[in-house]
Amino acid sequence: MLHTLNCSPEHPALQDCLKLLRAEDALLLLGDGVYLALAQCSNGQALQATGAALYVLEADARAAGVHARLALGFNVVDDAGFVALTERHARQMAWY
Amino acid sequence: MLPATAFDREGFLKTRQAWSPAVAEQIAAGEQIELSAAHWEIITLLRAYYEQFDSSPAMRPLVKWVKIHLGADCGRSVYLLSLFPGSPAKIASKIAGLPKPDNCL
Amino acid sequence: MSAAARKSVLVVTRHAQPGRSLARAALDTTLATAAFDQPVNLLFLGAGVLQLIPHQDSSAVGVRNLRKVIDSMPLYDVEHCYVDTDAAQRHGLTTADLPSGAILVDVAAQRALFDAHHHILGF
Repeated sequence: MLHTLNCSPEHPALQDCLKLLRAEDALLLLGDGVYLALAQCSNGQALQATGAALYVLEADARAAGVHARLALGFNVVDDAGFVALTERHARQMAWY
Repeated sequence: MLPATAFDREGFLKTRQAWSPAVAEQIAAGEQIELSAAHWEIITLLRAYYEQFDSSPAMRPLVKWVKIHLGADCGRSVYLLSLFPGSPAKIASKIAGLPKPDNCL
Repeated sequence: MSAAARKSVLVVTRHAQPGRSLARAALDTTLATAAFDQPVNLLFLGAGVLQLIPHQDSSAVGVRNLRKVIDSMPLYDVEHCYVDTDAAQRHGLTTADLPSGAILVDVAAQRALFDAHHHILGF
């Protein structure tokens, strides 16, 4: 299953997402969600602890200045990569 | 008789408070429907539905609601279509002075 | 959840009303899907459970009484709705407060719902 997360690290949707995220899932961060990919973000570390495959949308990461300080374990994808993720996963849940 | 300004473009009453049985007759006439006791039974039920659920029903819940209150003979779309030809949920709501059903496309 | 073999939809509603039109959109989506005879379930998650507080009176703010609309779901043949157990507890909602047909679901059951539907729509 693919999750997309589009809210800041302080938003309660993150906790709901964290609870339902499984190791076999993929999570794509976009919009304000890209801040979770910052190195040293404790919530980002919680995401990593789930074992899910983690992605961050390149354009949004660049816009936020996050791309230069990404935590290890987050894979950068462009729009085509986003589309490829949706093709690989039958279900998708948007957290915002 | 209410003036045309009391209704929206589709002929629904703009304010629920403006409704009265006489207004129902007026709206029904515009739909070429002469209200019988059977019509009034449905109109009364519809207004009770709105009171309870704060919404106008789509066709499916209307049929179920009528079935609960008037039995299986009336709780059928054929029956409602015979009273309010075309789109029963929409036309009956209009005559009952209720907003257009949200989920009635 | 026997509907899972067909193209089923799980609507996940996570925001409280009023102020947010998302709660209303989730409910409209659920009812419209049901009105077209498509298998649909509604899950109240997180702050979404606040929509279920009984005895709402929205007349002075000019919006729908959402709880009343939620109570009409069985007439759309949506007999059950699913409610986040933790969130209900956190906000002081008891079983007596919930609509008839509400089923409390823990995280594992929530996830099972996600996995049992073809499409998930988050609001």
